[in-house]
Amino acid sequence: MSRRLRISLGVLAIVVVVVSVLAARGQIRWLPSALRGDTTAAEGWTPPTTPWGDPDLQGIYNYGTSTPLQRPQSVGEKPVLSDEEAEELQDQIATRLDRDRRDGGAQADVSRSYNEIWMDPARMRLTADKRTSLLIDPPDGRIPPRVERPPTPEEQQARADAELSTRRFNTGFQESYRDMDVGNRCIIRRRNEGGGHPYLPAIYNNMAQIFQAPGYVVIYSEMIHFARVIPVDGRPALPDSVGTWLGDPRGRWEGNTLVVETRNFIASNDVGRTGVVYGNANPKTFRLVERFTRVGPDTVNYEVTIADPDTWTRPFTIMVPWNKTDEQIYEYQCQEMNYDMYHWLYGAREREKRGETFDPNAPGARGQGGEG
Amino acid sequence: MRNRSRGVIVVAAIVAGIAGAWLAARLLQAQGPAGAQAVVPGQFSPYTAPRTADGHPDLNGIWQSVSTANWNLEAHGAAPGAYPELLGAWGAQPGGQSVVEGGVIPYRPEALARRNANFAQRTTASVPGDGVDPPLGDPELKCWMPGVPRSMYMPYPLQIVQTPDSILITHEFNGSTRIVRMNWEEESPVDNTFFMGWSRGRWEGETLVIDVTGLNERNWLDRAGNFHSDAVHVVERLTPVSPYHIAYEATIEDPKVFTRPWTISLPLYRRMDRNAQLMEFKCQPFVEELLYGRFTKK
Amino acid sequence: MRIIVTLVVAGIAIVAAGAPASAHHAFASEFDARKPVKFTATVTKMEWINPHSWMHVEVKKPDGTTESWMIEAGSPNSLFRRGINKNTVKPGMVVVVDGYQARDGSRRANGRDVTLPEGRKLFLGSAGTGAPEEKK
Repeated sequence: MSRRLRISLGVLAIVVVVVSVLAARGQIRWLPSALRGDTTAAEGWTPPTTPWGDPDLQGIYNYGTSTPLQRPQSVGEKPVLSDEEAEELQDQIATRLDRDRRDGGAQADVSRSYNEIWMDPARMRLTADKRTSLLIDPPDGRIPPRVERPPTPEEQQARADAELSTRRFNTGFQESYRDMDVGNRCIIRRRNEGGGHPYLPAIYNNMAQIFQAPGYVVIYSEMIHFARVIPVDGRPALPDSVGTWLGDPRGRWEGNTLVVETRNFIASNDVGRTGVVYGNANPKTFRLVERFTRVGPDTVNYEVTIADPDTWTRPFTIMVPWNKTDEQIYEYQCQEMNYDMYHWLYGAREREKRGETFDPNAPGARGQGGEG
Repeated sequence: MRNRSRGVIVVAAIVAGIAGAWLAARLLQAQGPAGAQAVVPGQFSPYTAPRTADGHPDLNGIWQSVSTANWNLEAHGAAPGAYPELLGAWGAQPGGQSVVEGGVIPYRPEALARRNANFAQRTTASVPGDGVDPPLGDPELKCWMPGVPRSMYMPYPLQIVQTPDSILITHEFNGSTRIVRMNWEEESPVDNTFFMGWSRGRWEGETLVIDVTGLNERNWLDRAGNFHSDAVHVVERLTPVSPYHIAYEATIEDPKVFTRPWTISLPLYRRMDRNAQLMEFKCQPFVEELLYGRFTKK
Repeated sequence: MRIIVTLVVAGIAIVAAGAPASAHHAFASEFDARKPVKFTATVTKMEWINPHSWMHVEVKKPDGTTESWMIEAGSPNSLFRRGINKNTVKPGMVVVVDGYQARDGSRRANGRDVTLPEGRKLFLGSAGTGAPEEKK
């Protein structure tokens, strides 16, 4: 072996050792840059700024995708798919999601309403980087375990009540408006998925428009007509005595990245079955940090770290690319024309008048009664 | 000759001096402290607003109407309000002057009867599906988005976020929001649907002109039951008239309800509280018992 | 080595982040799988509203009388984005409605498919999923 080669191999060996040690200590994330939700822009592209010098995130976006939130077990540890694998997975998911399917019998058919034209076609495609999960941290792509804690008698009662409420909903015997979830009541989009934050893809309506003015970034979610005004002028957060459904955000710029911290959620989860914040976490200790970075003319990467030491054993991070669209945002009135609330409640009372009764063990009673 | 012309000049100078001093004294009388212009309600000195980068008046900020227009656009005295035996002074209507140019809304006779019926049933909260159409009850009471122009004179702040292509106007009340698309040709995709209408804007010098169609026959204009049909067409004009005021006008045209177009005008005031912000005001949970309590299982 | 990716349905939310499709709106709470309906009807009014659109139709019965029905559909906003609007569905149009009736027996149905007049099958969704023909 030549001397030069020996030296080169020696250097290589040292590099490998050093990098391995750093990785083991968590100081380098092994995922390729696309998976880290890297804020590095494409080669040779300069991010635009607004006239007053803030990074320009503006545009109308669709963040729909079929990439699952958590890595499927069948994929093992693979964080990214090859082109062929991605195409195959994308087709499989699209077939499963397709609402024009008429297989499965009448019960499945009722649940599949409505057909495909009402849905967001963007949700039939994996993200361009072919990740196997939207979750990028922990590295196994799965939400960390929930904190195990024996429930208090009050918590046990609350869970039992919520379960009964769900079964009443599922079988059409709602006792009151509280048997509907916060989405069906048009208060917030269910569990803040997409209509507040975190912005996570759903089967329809993944639309948001970003506006900017000096001192502000405003993210307008179409569903349920929510303009999230984020001050970036360094003002303090509101005191804890102010509780809100969607939180009160404060933003700052770190290079080209908008970092948003949100607090001031309603302190109590006694608002109906589905709670105030993501994952039915504890709104008092729930923490949300979001990062928006334009990585190309048509893409803003959205990265959100969710933490609640009362609910999950560690924080976790999700990355969803927002893709610019030529389509427009339209009004999403909700409360105003919500026929369903009347139909559910009036319908339940009518059935009771006819002698029908709630059976908590009827077929279809279990399972999450869902998003409206 | 020289002496006489010099004398004339001296006299002229003295006269000019006295006249000038007299004028100055009058001007000083009219000025407040530190030489400021006299402040007369209803009058604004000529003003040119600072510009955004694309050269238009900058309307960014948090603004709010200070008026009782949301109770009643027309002149009104103080009145008990709904359920005075429960709400006392909290629920009472304060007096206020008309914001309608000419004072009175020009209703067609049959429409005026409907207005009065609206008022009589303003707390009867009917809901979609219950078969009552048009629905009864003040939409504001039900936490419905208040529409245009009513959202502009509700007693809560609104925020204008201005970009060259579109202007976002968002309201504290129920997070009601509309997007004003600038120089936009496409019409509303649907009629009688959008509670906050279909807004298209353009600049005319210092004034933002907003053309609003696509509004909803379920909107009211105030708590007094003033209303419009689905044929309504609203044109708004927003002109900054000082660093702290926008002159707001809205012309309402609806041949099904009114005999002619009519205009309201009122100032919008810039919120100058330190760290002013819109607070969340989601009233949906506060009205559920009102709307749906009667269907609860007994 | 090509990893064959298969979906493991049990216990994993494969679908993107949101709720599984079958839990959407819990339609089963309101509509009865044992009461399928299919009829031809005339549109009297189309409400392009949220959270759900409603199509109002008149159904002519064999005895010549008519019945009014309300048909529930999805959020119209994605249709607006594709240029579907008030001109697409108009009073007077004849449509074929395929759905499930409300549990309480009222004249209301969950619009599983709504087919517009010949040549305008806009509501029948995207082409070519290869799904088996529906058996009813």
